[in-house]
Amino acid sequence: MAKRTRITIDYSVCGDGNKVDPRACGACMRACGPAVFTLHQTFGTREKDPCDPQHWRITPLWATLCTRCNKCVEACPEKAITVK
Amino acid sequence: MCDLCAKHGDGGKWYLNAAHYADEIAEKYNLRDYLLEQYKNFEQVPVRKVNGFNPVGFDYKIKMPLIGRLLKRMAEGMLHSTRPPRNPFRAEGHIGQVVPLEDAIAILESCAAEPIIEKNCMCRYMSRGIQEACCINFGVMSDIISKLPRFIPTKDKFFLTRKEAIQRFISFNNKGYIGTIWFGPFPYINNLCSCATPECAGIRPRLDFGIKSIYKAEYVADVRADACTGCGGCETVCQFGALHKAGAGKTVTVDYDKCYGCGTCRHACAAGALYLRSRDEVPQIAEKY
Repeated sequence: MAKRTRITIDYSVCGDGNKVDPRACGACMRACGPAVFTLHQTFGTREKDPCDPQHWRITPLWATLCTRCNKCVEACPEKAITVK
Repeated sequence: MCDLCAKHGDGGKWYLNAAHYADEIAEKYNLRDYLLEQYKNFEQVPVRKVNGFNPVGFDYKIKMPLIGRLLKRMAEGMLHSTRPPRNPFRAEGHIGQVVPLEDAIAILESCAAEPIIEKNCMCRYMSRGIQEACCINFGVMSDIISKLPRFIPTKDKFFLTRKEAIQRFISFNNKGYIGTIWFGPFPYINNLCSCATPECAGIRPRLDFGIKSIYKAEYVADVRADACTGCGGCETVCQFGALHKAGAGKTVTVDYDKCYGCGTCRHACAAGALYLRSRDEVPQIAEKY
């Protein structure tokens, strides 16, 4: 099996109601060719206000499709993404 | 004829069976509550655990020898489920098929339940953060989507008449978006999507991981060799990489195994050389949906 690509996003900067709202930015998602990232609500917000969830984050869901082109790393204005 | 048509088509195509669009089905299975719960947290569905398996890293697990086969079977079992839907956080009974323009127009003209609405595509929002109004929904979906502001288009019209819906769908098809019709959940049909790869969450499992999350259309594209000028314009629109112009050949050829039969290549052909024929007419791909 191929070596596992590990994409990590620093959630203390991006998402979860912190500095950057991924819904407003989304630079990494638009930069990614194979659309590896998924934007979703954080778990646990459902109970507070289900119709208008406030906290969103981006998860690199399909890491096997990553080509390691590093476009997301370059696109991120906060330098919150690392690809190993 | 695919197995969905054989089981649920009532002698014809499953998506042209008006019984699947009736509001009575939605009431019978209490789908108003189910779908509201599902769409409230729609973006969470692909990252939620299913039977204890975390979908993050699922793409690696599916390549493992035995576990991969088990996972594939589990995912297909969930998507092809015909039992009454229970858990709104799973894509139960959510199986679709590619439809060409003609069939989509027939659906919108005679089958789709009023009111017809147009909403922002969820897949494009999930994977790109882009809000593009190109999903046409029917029946009870209008109540559900009106409660969820992130799906309501800001620039385009929300409620559509049948005529407007057809106009909108034709414009999407001309752009090269693949028309797809979905059970969501079985046996209620409420989505006519205009998909694009790799954003579409329904086409991705099949293209990248071999999970039957969507059936190919009842048709397949073919080329009239005498009319084809060999310009290669259709090659660039095909989202499945099924059209090729071989170096020595003068005309384009269709890879039948890759063709999903969406028919969007026809809009790119100035010479009118591309056409759709029934999948069952071509022996090597008959019964392969």
